[in-house]
Amino acid sequence: MTGNAYDIDIWGLLVALAMVAVAAGISELMRINIGKTLLWSACRALLQLCAMGFIIGYVIRTNNVFLVFAVIAVMLVAAVQITLSRAKGIPKGLAGPVLLSLTITMLLMISLVTELVVRPHPWYAPQLVVPLTGMLLGNTVSALAVGLSRFYESMNERRDEIDTLLALGSTAWEAARPSIVSSIRLGLLPTTATLASCGIVTIPGMMAGQVIAGGDPLEAAKYQFVVFAAIAALTLVADSLIMAMVYRTCFTADDQYKPPEMR
Amino acid sequence: MSSTENVFTANGVTCIVPTQGERRTIFKNLEFAIAPGEIVDLVGPSGSGKSSLLTAFARLNPHATGSFTLDGHDSDEFTPQQWRHEVAYLPQKPILPGETVADAIRLPFTLVIRAGADSIGNASDAVKADVTADVSTPHAAPVNTTGAPSSPHRIGKVGLGRRFVALFRNNDQQARRLLTDQKIRMTLDAMGCEDIDLARPPHDLSGGQAARVSLARTLLTEPKVLLADEVDAGLDDENAEKVADIMATAAAGGMAIIRIRHRPPDGRASRIVTLANGTLTEKTTKTGAQA
Repeated sequence: MTGNAYDIDIWGLLVALAMVAVAAGISELMRINIGKTLLWSACRALLQLCAMGFIIGYVIRTNNVFLVFAVIAVMLVAAVQITLSRAKGIPKGLAGPVLLSLTITMLLMISLVTELVVRPHPWYAPQLVVPLTGMLLGNTVSALAVGLSRFYESMNERRDEIDTLLALGSTAWEAARPSIVSSIRLGLLPTTATLASCGIVTIPGMMAGQVIAGGDPLEAAKYQFVVFAAIAALTLVADSLIMAMVYRTCFTADDQYKPPEMR
Repeated sequence: MSSTENVFTANGVTCIVPTQGERRTIFKNLEFAIAPGEIVDLVGPSGSGKSSLLTAFARLNPHATGSFTLDGHDSDEFTPQQWRHEVAYLPQKPILPGETVADAIRLPFTLVIRAGADSIGNASDAVKADVTADVSTPHAAPVNTTGAPSSPHRIGKVGLGRRFVALFRNNDQQARRLLTDQKIRMTLDAMGCEDIDLARPPHDLSGGQAARVSLARTLLTEPKVLLADEVDAGLDDENAEKVADIMATAAAGGMAIIRIRHRPPDGRASRIVTLANGTLTEKTTKTGAQA
């Protein structure tokens, strides 16, 4: 690999793995029983990251617009699968809405951040579009998973309140609103926390990467801000979209509360 | 108009609940009708489906089917919200969201279905016999508490545009304007609820107070039909008596009231209807003969 100011050789990877192995060993001695999972996850992460590195490298070298969008499509499908498996207590058949909400936010991300702010040549510049999509998806996936879990949990908890609201003549939207609000808030909590703490407590991964690779720290900071701002805004968009699409799953066509077993 | 004309009718009311893969029929093809100003008690063993019947009347029960009319208009002519505006189900458990009791009482008026109104019609019509001061506003729409036929489309359908606007409107403020603290106070006082402090959190209310606040909230929305689901359960005799009085006053103003009760008859109902083994049987009480 070239381009990095200080490259990591094979021994570097082995040292990193050894650190995990030692930590795992200690945890086994202390009977915390997390060692195996830790070691396994570390190996998996190494493989996944290297594979991703190879793929992005290949995509950048080929510089083909279809290949770029093929990679993004695969990432989207994987993101849907991860969202659905992470969200607890959700009804079946949400793959469509989740895919739609992720796709819309991804397209917004590409059109606004890439084409309006960065304006690369060619317009689909893989070294920009693919990592940006990855960062956006990483954030929205957890926001959606948390938001969806919280929404259905809240709708179940608020059953009596919802019945009361409906009896008083509320629409399904009005009855669901408190649950929607609380789930969006919870889904956005990590995002707002990151925004508030970055630069003081943490140097965000993307900026750190650019600095380590020898980039100008101020340029890196500007990039990081644009990406953070876009991610925060688009996570809110993704969460709102998914809520608007799924809240009706808790109601019948006649605006009656649908208990979990009927969904 | 004679008071024997029914304000509300129900036909072919059936409730089938899926339980553990089976479909259990709670009741089938029930018929019911009630005239304005009438109080009907619904009794029967627990589990016989009394609550299911009332939620079916309010079109709140996803397991129930049937055809209903209000003032001769079929329920299909109403949106669910319009229907529940007139046929109000009052749950057994008082749920009072909001920071204060006043907020909890204003809750119905934060909803789109009522937000379009210029003013709450004579909010205390139902209890006007007891109100000494005139709390109505001059331009209030005439409220049909006598049960005369009126268009079910008195309240417009909630269109997409209005719903979008409603997303951004501060409904709380509008509700405060529609239903002022003084108006709530007067209504509560007229209902014999002088003991309830409007500024307190609803959480602090006693069981009896909460039940009365919940009842007052629904009465202030002026439904034509009130479906009271065992509102006096768990109340002491004094509070139960107060609740019964409030409802009797509302009925005197023209509201048709169906009460689920487990207590012995209190002489206020004109009919007692029993739901058992999926059938309704009826007997007229002395009060009903006089009425």
